[in-house]
Amino acid sequence: MCLQNFPCQEVERHNKPEVELKTSPELLLKPILICRNEAEKCLIETSINSLRISLKVKQADELENILTKKFLRFLSMRAEAFQVLRRKPVQGYDISFLITNYHCEEMQKHKLIDFIVQFMEDIDKEISELKMSVNTRGRLVAAEFLKQFI
Amino acid sequence: MSQNLYFLRERERMACFDRASPALKETLLKIYRDNKPTELDQRLFEFGAVEYHIRSSVSDPHYVHLSISTPLLSQEASVAQGISQGTVQTIKGILSDIVELVEPSREGYQLTLRLDFSKIPQGKDSSKIITEIASIQAAILSCQLKEMLSNVASQDTSPGMYKLIKLLYHPREPFFVVRQPEKTIAVFPMRFQENTDVIIATAFFQELMDVGSSEAWAKVPLCTWSPIPPPELRGEQMEDLSTNGGFVSFDILPHHVKGKRLDKTVWNLLNFYAFVKYHVKCTRGFIQRRMRKRLDNLVKILHKASSEEGGYVDDAQVAGCGCIKSLVSVSKTNTLRRRCRNFTKKVKRMRCPIKIHGFRRFRRRWLTVPKFSSAFKYTKID
Repeated sequence: MCLQNFPCQEVERHNKPEVELKTSPELLLKPILICRNEAEKCLIETSINSLRISLKVKQADELENILTKKFLRFLSMRAEAFQVLRRKPVQGYDISFLITNYHCEEMQKHKLIDFIVQFMEDIDKEISELKMSVNTRGRLVAAEFLKQFI
Repeated sequence: MSQNLYFLRERERMACFDRASPALKETLLKIYRDNKPTELDQRLFEFGAVEYHIRSSVSDPHYVHLSISTPLLSQEASVAQGISQGTVQTIKGILSDIVELVEPSREGYQLTLRLDFSKIPQGKDSSKIITEIASIQAAILSCQLKEMLSNVASQDTSPGMYKLIKLLYHPREPFFVVRQPEKTIAVFPMRFQENTDVIIATAFFQELMDVGSSEAWAKVPLCTWSPIPPPELRGEQMEDLSTNGGFVSFDILPHHVKGKRLDKTVWNLLNFYAFVKYHVKCTRGFIQRRMRKRLDNLVKILHKASSEEGGYVDDAQVAGCGCIKSLVSVSKTNTLRRRCRNFTKKVKRMRCPIKIHGFRRFRRRWLTVPKFSSAFKYTKID
């Protein structure tokens, strides 16, 4: 996360995250793709003044699929609360972060990395807990319904 | 355990499972508690197809006329004869001293009742009696289904044959009753508007099947779910068989419709759609609450990352502790200094874009203009 301030080379007095524009290849580093399996992967794209991290979360069945979509969309729509979260994930991924040099100045880098790692762990944990809660609720409701027949 | 209690509390609040119509009950209670006799001619509409007409007059203060129009469960029966004799007898049996059937019924209504409010006892029982009167529409529909299910025990169908009856309780949500020699099957085609609802409901149906098939629940009707129409529904119209939530079937055996259980079985089957829709709605609300709570937790973690740097701290958080306040203010000064330094560097870079190594020292030594102070002061010449 060695980011530094770099004004835009195309437009005067503009300062844009180069990883989003991708107009100057000399300012971009090689992207890194880390795959746990076909369903879970992480793409890290770096440039001189910004860094983009995109995550694809594991979705085993339809219920996990809708829970993941709902939850990550919920977070993305409130991206301003997170500052480093992108409103729309990169195509092919479920959620994306955009970290610029300004974020590195305002926040401690190691804490930022800790946050992203914890975010990834929490997402998996939250989706699993949500799925378990929904199934448990369904079981309790089913038992209540069948109790009425006795 | 906490989820169980939460669900039970929700169920208590659910008006859709009450047999009594809330609006009708409120109106009748108001008339009963009113000391002065009033002229009233009121129509109430429920679920789009149920209509009540309440009429009371000053000349006859003790009597209230209640007319009911309700779409019957079975379309064949309603076209043929209206309300069956069995249903009429059941209604006559409900509070026979207070409720009297008026024949013929008012035009446009299937049933007209004359309620004698002077015979309702004072006290807590009055509310109970009025609740029972307000449940007459549910009683009419329950009677129809009871007649169909009670024929299971009579075995009036020959082996290998079955009769399919289409019933309509909620608008656009028909369900089917298949009468077989040994049992009656109630089949519910499930339809939902959104894909999320389909998936939540499907998970619920899987749990319903799992719970119902366990040994502890051997006494309840067997429940099955399938994504395709069961063979009993072959030959029905495509619009009734096209669903996105599959088909839920309950096997009703003779012991499920004996005695008091008949009433419970009938009411549960009539309200199955409402039950599932309510569960899906509550689950969506639950998911939303959990997501909001998790969002708050994640945002707190991020704020910790920025607050330890000293940039963004709420006054409320540091209000109580002076030492932390001073630490924050010192850190803020450092940040400001660093920003000023960066700004001046930027300005210098803009003015001197080309940097020659060692030129700064040369410039400082040889190119600076020496400062000297003059003994003569400047005087303005007029």
